[in-house]
Amino acid sequence: MADKVINKENKKIVVEHLKKSFGHLEVLKDINCEIDEGEVVVVIGPSGSGKSTFLRCINRLEEITGGHVYVDGTDMADPKTDLNKVRRHIGMVFQHFNLFPHKTVKENVMMAPVELKIMTKEEAAATADRLLARVGMQDKTDAYPSQLSGGQKQRVAIARALAMNPDIMLFDEPTSALDPEMVGEVLEVMKTLASQGMTMVVVTHEMGFAREVGDRLLFMDEGYIIEEGDPVEVLAHPKEERTISFLSKVL
Amino acid sequence: MNILVKICTLFVTHFWTFLAAFGMTVRVTVLSLIFATIIGIVVALIRLVGPKPLKAVGNVYISIIRGTPLMVQILFIYFGIPSALHVHLTLFAASVLTMSLNGGAYMAEIIRGGIEAVDKGQMEASRSLGLSYGQTMRLVILPQALRMMLPSIINQFIVTLKDTSLLSAIGLRELTQNTKIIVANNMEALTMYFICGVWYWVVIFILTRVSRLVEKRTQYGR
Repeated sequence: MADKVINKENKKIVVEHLKKSFGHLEVLKDINCEIDEGEVVVVIGPSGSGKSTFLRCINRLEEITGGHVYVDGTDMADPKTDLNKVRRHIGMVFQHFNLFPHKTVKENVMMAPVELKIMTKEEAAATADRLLARVGMQDKTDAYPSQLSGGQKQRVAIARALAMNPDIMLFDEPTSALDPEMVGEVLEVMKTLASQGMTMVVVTHEMGFAREVGDRLLFMDEGYIIEEGDPVEVLAHPKEERTISFLSKVL
Repeated sequence: MNILVKICTLFVTHFWTFLAAFGMTVRVTVLSLIFATIIGIVVALIRLVGPKPLKAVGNVYISIIRGTPLMVQILFIYFGIPSALHVHLTLFAASVLTMSLNGGAYMAEIIRGGIEAVDKGQMEASRSLGLSYGQTMRLVILPQALRMMLPSIINQFIVTLKDTSLLSAIGLRELTQNTKIIVANNMEALTMYFICGVWYWVVIFILTRVSRLVEKRTQYGR
């Protein structure tokens, strides 16, 4: 993947007055933010603050109750938007990996590009080999997910998302279900991805990752973005009371 | 020892009628299961993603089948429907129709349960890659659901096979009816029903073994 230059004029994702309710429960109350191409945005906040829901509204895995989410100028909230088309450019990595258990590692990576006729079987196989090598999983291509450790599963899941050649990657607590000794290997892959210019939105509890890799930090609470800014700055000198109280508990 | 000799003798004497009657049992069972599977898939999909009125029809259908005895369903369809609608239903057609409708309702529940048992994250992961609902169903959900359903489906096969014995009530000459006819002639109730029971048991024992083999073969990478 070629290096991308951060271009402030080129807004990759624009979120305007995003609202999301589950029945009577209003999870997202008014979210506004803009994300540049190549930017790595880290979202933190207490559980129940709506950060995962926010992420899942970006590729509309959750129906959007109100407001707009523009991805490359396409309004995800518009019912006429061809979600299947837009989602091809938005990779997503889940807390619980969600690998397809009935397919081998390589088949997991190959499935979508072949089924969507973006690649031939041969091309997809070559791409899968390349991507699996990139995440350090070249020795396990024929294994089934049940034979892998958590960290290995998550690296395969990243390769699977990358197979569609996305220009945005969403990470929903990618290391939260991992044993501590496996967190590093996944973060390492994400770090490499970030350095290659991928636009990333990462919901995480890994403050070290936020500090080291994040271009911007969003702190969410009760359905709002309470504070945002340079991760190092926000983590060291939070301004809002709720940010201070949250960080005092996790740092 | 005498009883054993008697069983063997009677078994040999009546082997061919038993075999023919078992052929009938198999034909009704296999045909019914094919129709039941089709009905089951359709009804399951309707109840999962169909429009509301169709869903209601599906629910009523399942409720009726599960809430009434199979014997009543058999009598209703064979005697009730032709007299009300002035159509002629052959014994065989009525038998297959009843067993299909009955099996279909249970299959629908099995299939729906299987689909719902697949982790929600599977649908999300597949959709997030840009695959449609249909593609996801075919490539990701159904293969996994099928594996989970398999024991229940084979169990349903066994249940349907055994339930065909109730068709003797309307006179279909399957295994049980054939035995009843023989007993009416030779009065050897103990021996003949014993042979009949063993016949069912052997077939179902084999099916159970096959089902275990199939289950083992579908454990991915374990």
